[in-house]
Amino acid sequence: MGRKKKKQLKPWCWYCNRDFDDEKILIQHQKAKHFKCHICHKKLYTGPGLAIHCMQVHKETIDAVPNAIPGRTDIELEIYGMEGIPEKDMDERRRLLEQKTQESQKKKQQDDSDEYDDDESAASTSFQPQPVQPQQGYIPPMAQPGLPPVPGAPGMPPGIPPLMPGVPPLMPGMPPVMPGMPPGMMPMGGMMPPGPGIPPLMPGMPPGMPPPVPRPGIPPMTQAQAVSAPGILNRPPAPTATVPAPQPPVTKPLFPSAGQAQAAVPGPVGTDFKPLNNTPATTTEPPKPTFPAYTQSTASTTSTTNSTAAKPAASITSKPATLTTTSATSKLIHPDEDISLEERRAQLPKYQRNLPRPGQAPIGNPPVGPIGGMMPPQPGIPQQQGMRPPMPPHGQYGGHHQGMPGFLPGAMPPYGQGPPMVPPYQGGPPRPPMGMRPPVMSQGGRY
Amino acid sequence: MSLFGTTSKFGSNGSSVGTFGSAAADHHNPMKDIEVTSSPDDSIGCLSFSPASLPGNFLVAGSWANDVRCWEVQDNGQTVPKAQHIHAGPVLGVCWSDDGSKVFTASCDKTAKMWDLNSNLAIQIAQHDAPIKTVHWIKASNYRCVMTGSWDRTLKFWDTRSSNPVMALQLPERCYCADVVYPMAVVATARRGLIVYQLENQPSEVRRVESSLKFQNRCVAIFKDKHHKPNGFALGSIEGKIAFHYLNVPNSVKDSFTFKCHRSNRANSSGSQDIYAVNGMAFHPIHGTLATVGSDGRFNFWDKDGRAKLKTSEPLDQPISACCFNHNGNIFAYASSYDWSKGHEFYNPKRKNYIFLRNAAEELKPRNGK
Repeated sequence: MGRKKKKQLKPWCWYCNRDFDDEKILIQHQKAKHFKCHICHKKLYTGPGLAIHCMQVHKETIDAVPNAIPGRTDIELEIYGMEGIPEKDMDERRRLLEQKTQESQKKKQQDDSDEYDDDESAASTSFQPQPVQPQQGYIPPMAQPGLPPVPGAPGMPPGIPPLMPGVPPLMPGMPPVMPGMPPGMMPMGGMMPPGPGIPPLMPGMPPGMPPPVPRPGIPPMTQAQAVSAPGILNRPPAPTATVPAPQPPVTKPLFPSAGQAQAAVPGPVGTDFKPLNNTPATTTEPPKPTFPAYTQSTASTTSTTNSTAAKPAASITSKPATLTTTSATSKLIHPDEDISLEERRAQLPKYQRNLPRPGQAPIGNPPVGPIGGMMPPQPGIPQQQGMRPPMPPHGQYGGHHQGMPGFLPGAMPPYGQGPPMVPPYQGGPPRPPMGMRPPVMSQGGRY
Repeated sequence: MSLFGTTSKFGSNGSSVGTFGSAAADHHNPMKDIEVTSSPDDSIGCLSFSPASLPGNFLVAGSWANDVRCWEVQDNGQTVPKAQHIHAGPVLGVCWSDDGSKVFTASCDKTAKMWDLNSNLAIQIAQHDAPIKTVHWIKASNYRCVMTGSWDRTLKFWDTRSSNPVMALQLPERCYCADVVYPMAVVATARRGLIVYQLENQPSEVRRVESSLKFQNRCVAIFKDKHHKPNGFALGSIEGKIAFHYLNVPNSVKDSFTFKCHRSNRANSSGSQDIYAVNGMAFHPIHGTLATVGSDGRFNFWDKDGRAKLKTSEPLDQPISACCFNHNGNIFAYASSYDWSKGHEFYNPKRKNYIFLRNAAEELKPRNGK
């Protein structure tokens, strides 16, 4: 991508100031984020197009472009990709990018060797366009007077591209090198502090670059090489320094494949990352209490991030096994929303067999099997006290089984009243066989 | 195959794994991870590894077969069943005490028990009016207790020596999941409720958070900042989405974000996409990266700071119902068993339930060493 001269700027979205590698992607982004109808999700091509659609189809007026930054929300402006961007905004953008690159370049160029200063700023900026810094925008090489020497460097130009791509891979290795790099970069020849660091770069160095060492012996050459060398070497630090910048584009593809699969959201990361402050704006519409909001089954569970208008949610109602919130694009593999999977499952008689009813014997004692056993033989210690009251009303979950010996060893005694007290409880030993037992047994038998 | 310290062979994303399936003629273990022996007979609801204070690694798993099993996981990957204890109802939550001598288990039988592994005795230490879903051990500077969250809409704190809770807090709804990283505790309830508590001196509610997910809460895990202080939590819902909420940071709203996961990839524009519930999540104790497991039978590793997905596994033929890391993050355990996501019609009691162990030392490193 980054050939010099790409309209002098990487494609960027006028509405939200984001950068893209390709105009196609930019257009897709605009369609998905800015020209998408919030009512029916139809993607239009331009702002005015969207406005007209909303008016004609939904009878609604729209006065601002969705997801646009303040100041860039004009719906009347016909912008498609990079076309239609007002000249002054373009200029502003260019200036902004220049500034940014200058700044970051300058930072890196805090070095102790003055010789390279001018050349470097020239050379480095000239290399800006290299793909490593997608965000930096393009600064026409022509603008850099320092360049001419570069072609002079034997084999330089052809050598450069190979280095560039090579740079990112170096990055991981960079860190150890990096710290020494920036200062060392510049003085390529002058200082060898980055000595250990240089070798890794060396291979990447264009053929024209003799190792720094012999520099002194080649003053004129040196100059030329110094120009380019630092320039090249700059690359690596530059990218690392601004690594955070390229990050997002890099991570985008990594992002959940869900992002790609969603019909509704072709856009990059933004959709998935949707910062909370966006969604709450819409989610607060139906405040928590409106559980009923969930009943609306419709749509777009996938595009929930964007359109909370359709409170997705599953129809709590009917819908036998699976939830069908289908918006024809998605389906939630989950039964009714109202209760959790565990609650649903726990209602099954199979899982309630042991719970209930009075007379439950201490569980587990019996057969349990090899390992096992546990249940402390602490007989007769039904814990009552605090526990008791709640007992009686147990609807679905069956009775308590308090068979389990109560609390800690040591403190036992208080429950002198054990057995007689509570009909439902039995101490360990007595265990009147209740209907329960058998199931318990069998349960144990499972193991 | 060694679990510790060696680079895992199963590394790359689905590389040759697909072809291996034929070995077993099924996809019960497409990631070729170590299978724990004597796995429970019914779905596994919860997993927990022993804390660092115990030498070695011990895994406990609670299942719908009412039992809690404990295995020793040896360095060579072998798992040795050690003990089990039984509740009167399915076990929904397990947790270790900080010294590794006790395991607390919470069950549908409305009780929670303290299982002393040395004596292999288990005694009841908590009682609720409805099944207890979560149990956590809290070690504060001036107290120790067990926190239990139940479907009876209460959160109770128990000193294991008394039959009365030392504190009982009312919840807005049934407790669905919780996590504790002292001094913070988060409880997620039905109807998308989210409450944050602070545990210093005594537990008290700090605030209620508006969930950024629009669906039922399913699992929650607290994460720490680089100083190892809890500063937020991740929340998973049934709608294949995870939200990260930062607390105690200035830009908490702005820094919080969500991402989608555990969704099937249907053909891009046609067909519907299946959205699965996130059944469990756990943060790697060292790297701070997140592992999530879902009803789609996959596990994913995420780097929340880099906002990137680190890995997606091949799908298992059953949902993955629970997961956890061991104390040093070398082992990632996940349980493959039916989670009821398709209702009882799809339940096959004869199906084997598995717990797999995977070497997690390398795969969970954050991108770019963040």
